[in-house]
Amino acid sequence: MSDKTTSEPEPKAGGPTGGASRLSHATMSGADLLDQLRATLDRAGELVRVIETDLGTVGVSASGSDRERTRDLEARLAAAETDVKELAARLVDSEHQAGRLMNLYVATYQLHATLHPSEVQQTIAEIAINLLGSERFVLLLKDEEVPNECEVALGEAIEDDPLYSSGRYIGGDPMVDESLDDGVLRLGPYDDSPALAAVPLRVHDAVVGALVILKLFDHKPMLRGEDRDLLDLLSAHAASALFAARLYAAKDRKLRSLESLVKLARGEE
Amino acid sequence: MEPNKILVVDDSKLMHKMFEVMLRQYPLVHAKDGREALEHLDEHGDVDLVLLDINMPNMNGLEFLEAVRGNGRLDELTVIIISTEGTEADTARGLEAGATAYIKKPFRTDELLEVITKT
Repeated sequence: MSDKTTSEPEPKAGGPTGGASRLSHATMSGADLLDQLRATLDRAGELVRVIETDLGTVGVSASGSDRERTRDLEARLAAAETDVKELAARLVDSEHQAGRLMNLYVATYQLHATLHPSEVQQTIAEIAINLLGSERFVLLLKDEEVPNECEVALGEAIEDDPLYSSGRYIGGDPMVDESLDDGVLRLGPYDDSPALAAVPLRVHDAVVGALVILKLFDHKPMLRGEDRDLLDLLSAHAASALFAARLYAAKDRKLRSLESLVKLARGEE
Repeated sequence: MEPNKILVVDDSKLMHKMFEVMLRQYPLVHAKDGREALEHLDEHGDVDLVLLDINMPNMNGLEFLEAVRGNGRLDELTVIIISTEGTEADTARGLEAGATAYIKKPFRTDELLEVITKT
């Protein structure tokens, strides 16, 4: 991989849409917001230090009016400390929010950055592993020829799983079956289902498959609330990226076939 | 530390994009495996921080660490392992191999920045 500086990525075929660019802008605006919050926090901290210095200068043996001023300063100090704590909590929340937005931006960007179906599938796997912390998962794609059956497009650590190891899924996990049927994202626990999540892949109103998360890494005990955004994103964008890539691959093959025929007809081969 | 230049070593394109966004304030060099990373270290003498995945083809992270720590010139390089291998044994193995810190995937930006700042 060639070295890069921190320059903005260049658009590619199937690359980020205006929506992803707006998300990038929102992330950058979020970074500005974080900077502003940090600056406000610093100013509040400085105010606390000034007030503390003033209180030290006033002293205990001050006159009546000075004691009143001391009480006033102490009240302002307490208020400033409360504000600092609140700002610190908001800063942490904002940083977490910025992190979540960044994950969504990167996942969207990478899903649409290629028109090769195998690379799109690889990106889905990388999202599941690196962003969701999935140790075992499987990507199912509905078989257009055989109803109620799915191809196991890819899987991680499913060699011993009776439902998926054959390379075909013909049903058996109720949570997965229902999600494939109605296109609703489901999270476990679910009766009689070993899966942690069944993420239907939808193109327009059609369910074309599902990403099934079977196990997380041991150091990630459970899916968190913030993972839900990523799962929703996968449900919409993974399918459309795969669909676009497969369409492009099919058209590309047809074009190459036509080109070969033309060359043959011209006697160039 | 405030790194001059960061070498990111991972076989995942997604992770490289992630680091590009997460660490946009730093100059980055990208490598997809340990072998390529060693080549980049030869070219970029100002790399002072390496973010290193473990499971990679050609040369994995532990093999890369062994090569780096055996090279006197690179002995002072700060290496942070960022891996899905998250058991205590994995962490211990990474630190014994010469990593300065160990972060488990998935991780948050603030976690990474805190580790970078503190190393």
